[in-house]
Amino acid sequence: MFDLEQSIADWRQRMLAAGIKTPVPLEELESHLREDIAQQMKSGLSAQQSFGSAVNKIGQAPELKREFKKVSAPMEIQKIIQLAGVIFVAVTLFCPLFLFLPFLLAHGLSLTAKMLGLAIYATTVSTIVLSWRYNHKLLPVIRNQLLRRAVGIVCYAGSLLWMRFGVFHFSPGGLHPQSFLVPLVIFGLEWTVMAILGGVGHGLEKAASRQDQPAVS
Amino acid sequence: MYRVSMIRKELVAASAEPLVLSLLARGESYGYAIIQEVKARSNGKLQWTDGMLYPVLHRMEHRGLIRSRWGESETGRKRKYYSLKKDGKTAMQKHHEQWSLVHSVLAGLRKEQYV
Repeated sequence: MFDLEQSIADWRQRMLAAGIKTPVPLEELESHLREDIAQQMKSGLSAQQSFGSAVNKIGQAPELKREFKKVSAPMEIQKIIQLAGVIFVAVTLFCPLFLFLPFLLAHGLSLTAKMLGLAIYATTVSTIVLSWRYNHKLLPVIRNQLLRRAVGIVCYAGSLLWMRFGVFHFSPGGLHPQSFLVPLVIFGLEWTVMAILGGVGHGLEKAASRQDQPAVS
Repeated sequence: MYRVSMIRKELVAASAEPLVLSLLARGESYGYAIIQEVKARSNGKLQWTDGMLYPVLHRMEHRGLIRSRWGESETGRKRKYYSLKKDGKTAMQKHHEQWSLVHSVLAGLRKEQYV
């Protein structure tokens, strides 16, 4: 006597043994399998026939594993790069704010001067956001994954070095409200350069991923 | 009588992303329904190995073109739904432009053969 639930459990075991990961891919494939079996049974096939047909249509475990591997392997690294990108954006957006605040809250400054300071900060933030959002359109598509990641890592490292030596060593010292405009502009430029440099790795991944074509057979 | 044969594997692979994006542009859907819809609209000429759609969907999700959520079917069965993101809409428009261009070139060449 054919036991549908047992057959599905055996199919799951075969998929697991072949390396189809649980929970997401396998759960989703099982959901599809059950859906197909139910539809075929509705159209008059027996449970056994429906199961056999659905298993054939869903494909062989080694092929499926190969396709899923193509998705997850490079993308795990890509996720790390994207996370690094998000952290960079957060740092580059919030740190300048703390650097600008003493100028903006200083008592000796006129309202016009404060507004000017705020405008410089807004320009810096806008440049950072726009460059992160659209830099992938200007960056070249590097198909060689190793080269692409190496360039990205070099840019991240360069950005960190720029922050370490550029911002903290070469910035004008002393936050004197009277000469506020020069340090503000320099801070703005420094943080923008850092953000753009840090965004190259993220942008290169995005540019490359837009060129990829999926494989279905 | 001209008859369209089963579509070649390479063309099936290349058309997967624009088809999925265009179907999701009509609203949220799930793997099984996407496969059935493509099969029905192509009169069974465009057939995917069912399981192979899922790596494609996952890849598109990783690329930020679509998003997914687990939900329930009408019968209470667990089901993963996919929907289009803003970047997916842009990618779909690009696909449409490119496929239209290929189509118009082919149609033009075909027309010339009968002149």
